[in-house]
Amino acid sequence: MSARLDDVRRRLRGTSGRGRRLRGLASLVGPYRGRVALMVLSLIVGTAATLAPAPLAAQAIDQGILPHHFGRLALIVVLFGVAALVVWVMTVAQTYLVEWVGQRALADLRLQIFEHLQRLPVSFYESRPTGVLISRMTNDVEALDTLVTDSVVTLFQGGLTLVGTLVILLTFDVDLALVTFIMIPLIAIGSLIFRVASADAYRRTRETIGAITGNLQESLSGARVVRAFGQERRHAREFAELNEHNRGANMTTVYLNAAYFPAIEFVSSLATVAVLLYGGDQVLNGNIKLGILVGFLAALNNFFDPITQLSQLYTTYQSGMAALDKIFELLDEKSDLPEAPDAKTLERIRGELHFERVSFAYRRRDGEATRLALDDIELTVAPGETVALVGATGAGKSTLAKLVARFYDPTLGRVLIDGTDIRDVTFQSLRSQMGIVPQEAFLFSGTIRSNIAFGAPQASDAEIEAAARSVGAHEVIAALEKGYDTEVGERGGQLSAGQRQLVAFARAMAADPRILVLDEATSNVDLHTEARIEHGLRRLLAGRTAIVIAHRLSTIRGATRIVVLEGGRIREQGSHDELLAAGGAYAALYRDWSTAAAA
Amino acid sequence: MRVFARLLGFLGPYKRGVLWSAGLATLAILATVAIPYLSGVAVDAIHSHHRGRLLYLALAILGAGVFRLGVSAGRRLVAGHVSLGVEYDLRNLMFGHLQAQELAFFDRQQTGQLMSRATVDLQSIRFFLGYGLVFILQSALTISLAAVAMFVLEPRLAAIALIPVPFVVYVANRYSRLARPALQEVQQRIAELTADTEENISGVRVVKAFAREAHQRARFERSVGRVFEQSMVEARLQARYNPLIGLLPQVGLAVILLVGGYFVIHHSLSIGQFTAFYTYLLMLLSPMRTLGVSLSLAQRATASGARVFQILDRLPQLTSPPGAPPLPAGNGHVRFEGVTMRYSEGGPAALRDVDLDLEAGRTIALVGATGSGKSTLAALVARLYDPTAGRVLIDGADLREVEVASIRAAVAITGDDPFLFSTSVHDNIAYARPEATRAEVIEAARRAQAHEFIERLPEGYETRIGERGLSVSGGQRQRLAIARAIIADPRILILDDATSSVDASTEREIKRALAEVMAGRTTFIIAHRLSTIALADEILLLEDGRVGAHGDHEELLAGSALYREIVEKGLPDSVFLTRKPLESTGASL
Repeated sequence: MSARLDDVRRRLRGTSGRGRRLRGLASLVGPYRGRVALMVLSLIVGTAATLAPAPLAAQAIDQGILPHHFGRLALIVVLFGVAALVVWVMTVAQTYLVEWVGQRALADLRLQIFEHLQRLPVSFYESRPTGVLISRMTNDVEALDTLVTDSVVTLFQGGLTLVGTLVILLTFDVDLALVTFIMIPLIAIGSLIFRVASADAYRRTRETIGAITGNLQESLSGARVVRAFGQERRHAREFAELNEHNRGANMTTVYLNAAYFPAIEFVSSLATVAVLLYGGDQVLNGNIKLGILVGFLAALNNFFDPITQLSQLYTTYQSGMAALDKIFELLDEKSDLPEAPDAKTLERIRGELHFERVSFAYRRRDGEATRLALDDIELTVAPGETVALVGATGAGKSTLAKLVARFYDPTLGRVLIDGTDIRDVTFQSLRSQMGIVPQEAFLFSGTIRSNIAFGAPQASDAEIEAAARSVGAHEVIAALEKGYDTEVGERGGQLSAGQRQLVAFARAMAADPRILVLDEATSNVDLHTEARIEHGLRRLLAGRTAIVIAHRLSTIRGATRIVVLEGGRIREQGSHDELLAAGGAYAALYRDWSTAAAA
Repeated sequence: MRVFARLLGFLGPYKRGVLWSAGLATLAILATVAIPYLSGVAVDAIHSHHRGRLLYLALAILGAGVFRLGVSAGRRLVAGHVSLGVEYDLRNLMFGHLQAQELAFFDRQQTGQLMSRATVDLQSIRFFLGYGLVFILQSALTISLAAVAMFVLEPRLAAIALIPVPFVVYVANRYSRLARPALQEVQQRIAELTADTEENISGVRVVKAFAREAHQRARFERSVGRVFEQSMVEARLQARYNPLIGLLPQVGLAVILLVGGYFVIHHSLSIGQFTAFYTYLLMLLSPMRTLGVSLSLAQRATASGARVFQILDRLPQLTSPPGAPPLPAGNGHVRFEGVTMRYSEGGPAALRDVDLDLEAGRTIALVGATGSGKSTLAALVARLYDPTAGRVLIDGADLREVEVASIRAAVAITGDDPFLFSTSVHDNIAYARPEATRAEVIEAARRAQAHEFIERLPEGYETRIGERGLSVSGGQRQRLAIARAIIADPRILILDDATSSVDASTEREIKRALAEVMAGRTTFIIAHRLSTIALADEILLLEDGRVGAHGDHEELLAGSALYREIVEKGLPDSVFLTRKPLESTGASL
């Protein structure tokens, strides 16, 4: 029971740290103080002017109509018209300004998140699903969008109208106002119950509709499997079930709304009755004027509307705050791989690479280190040498490669390029002289040209073509209808795996790196493309220091040195012939391959 | 208009509900109109010092309030029931219809397009049928009732008071129509921004590797700027129209105050009547606006309806005649008779005039370059498509003349990039036979060499995978898909490049197990590796949609130059092809 109470209390209050979140929100609009001030001004003036008609109408009756004074009536009507114009002008200004400030703040927030994400090291990305990070930038920012645009206006207008109406009612007549205020506890209690119950109900509708969309998406993308196994009917049944859940969840909100909104309406008619009875009595006794009563009745409408509007705001507020929490949590992530404050620019690299007694353990998200992925590696690669890393899954090949690009720092030992510890140089100077070709050739949407020029933005068209030509990609690209101007699509999806691979080689070639780190692709491509890729790879490796995580025998054979890793240690190293002659682990692997190919 | 009438047809099963909700709405409005009227009379009573009448009137208002409470609550319940019911029916109808479509339909349609019809378009129809229609009715009724009441009170004043109504409705309608495309463009640009974000997060290694953070940031800033600019376009529309909608009735009120006051002064209108009149006009403000917005809901629903009907009106192409018999018993004897296949009318032929007679129980390797027709041939055996010309027969029956479900139960197909559902591992393997026991699932997983890695997953066979769960590597997906095919216990098994992402030693294990699975069934293997081809009893070499050669390894070596070339060059060797560990599922370095 007490747990339930706590739950209710928590939902009423929202989670803690509200002050901090609101300060964070305020800091976003800080740079636009001037416009924010104008916005607040227009909201206040506009709302105040909205309130004017009711008392003016009362004045018109009491001062103009009842004493039969047409001149005064006309004057008041003019004021009435002026108020309407003021409302109009102010609403125009406020609509535009709220949207401007809100959207500008969101745009800044998006950029801030983006920059922060860029600063975070690769290890951060490996411990989090892509979808979660994307959702910070999309769903969460959009939840804030609703909060900063719609809600700000409702909050201001609703709040000001409520306060203003209170003041007006009190100035009309204190006793009548007090009679009206008897209704407040009724509404407050009702609204409280309503908002607690509906927060839950609306969350359920969002969850169930999410499930429906997910299911639909899946059965559409998986249409082939559904048909291949003849499971159409089962999917239809499952879908109908989800659909039914959604209807149930929505029905709860219908019940809640059907109880709440008519009840609020009823309270407002109760107030009308009370005011009429008490106020009528006062008028009959000559205590107040009839115009006061009429004006009061008219103003009553303004009193109940904002209360319902404000209680509807609650859900938006909560989801906005939850989103803000998640965004701040992301912005609070510190990079555990910072650039040294006194980092030097790395001179032009000759290409000598030295792992000096390097050990490395990955850290889990809770900070605990896992077992050693690399264990006391001592390895020197001479300029221009190609080293093929060979070994089973988990032997440490990828880890070793990642340390060269400083995607991680070693736990013990140092990685040196031309004798300089790479922790002492700037990321920019290190990585701009290094080429990294990942296993899955990731291309950015844009043209083939822009992708090849990715690492060398100043490259001329001729240079881009030369790079493509030297890795054997030119013929493939030229054969496309639009050649270098072909749009590659999202993640390069418009190109085949082999074409993507060749473009990635050309991209690395154009950047002309001194040190190349390459994770060979394993995907199947047809024979012709395969030959091209082999050739391209040879051209790319020529004359550079290269670390290759090799999967192709031809690559391994072509390497100056083969390093066989096992359990994070170097098991053996040497040339293909040397290792075969030695009859160790490599020789065994090689036998495996030969039998597989000949089977 | 025809679309509109058909949309209304969806309300058919809810006729009574619609009538009830219209009736209750009318009553609620009557009560809402009655309250200010009664207040007006009460003010007159006070003015003429009728204390007794005041009490009665107060009671009457209270009664109207109670009445309105009951009627409004009832209306909300009934309307909610109707609108949710319509939504429920529409969704099931749409889903069922999509499930009935053949695969070729999905090849031509983009998933995103279909999704948007099933979500966005259905929603706009539902809003209109569930709420819009009632709003239009309610607003029109409120406006007419108030207008009648006003005309009864004072016709000249009523005529003046109603002048703003058409303007407000017009402006509100115009705004809704202009705002929608502007808002859609905002959404479109947000979608682009999302794609940009996605790309930068997925491609973070490449960005860092080339030290191109600044460039990507500038690109992202442009995308953000585009969203901002379009939001401002929308804001300007809003700023232009919305306040205007508020202003027009205020001007009307001012005029009524002046003219009505003049009438009261000249005794042609009582003060009470004037108060009531004034209140009615206040009451019209929100219905005027609602009417404009609801009319645009109707326009939108009609446009959406047209798109939804496009799908609902499309008849499924790949059906069997009613009462078609199930596939006759047999061991999986496959025949192709003069089969030609084009994916689109007038498009290139994926298969040309293929004649084949494949003995039951054999394993056939399909070999050929990309686009030579291997996958098409396999898909035709499962009747995922119908051939453009010719016939495909299994155990003597033309596939077009037997029950589709029985074909699908007899043929299992698995591809190189298999799709898994975001359910548990167990449910994915047991996909074709949901009633399979855990022991059967484990057995199938063992045969597909998947059991070991499944055991190591956080929750074993209960681990959720797929889009919203744990992502598994390509090789693991392929093994799960093979297990899924094995458990279906099919007469014909089709492995379409099913082990391309599995490392060499695992592949060897799978094949060893498959040899056992393949016994007694007809198996088609599409493969790029020599070692896989070696598993087959016969080899079918496809060239440009035609059968180039057909026979066993020795026969083809002797008879086909192309086959010799393939064997000599060997295929991508992959002995060192090792998969990344499970923990790092993103693109490794």
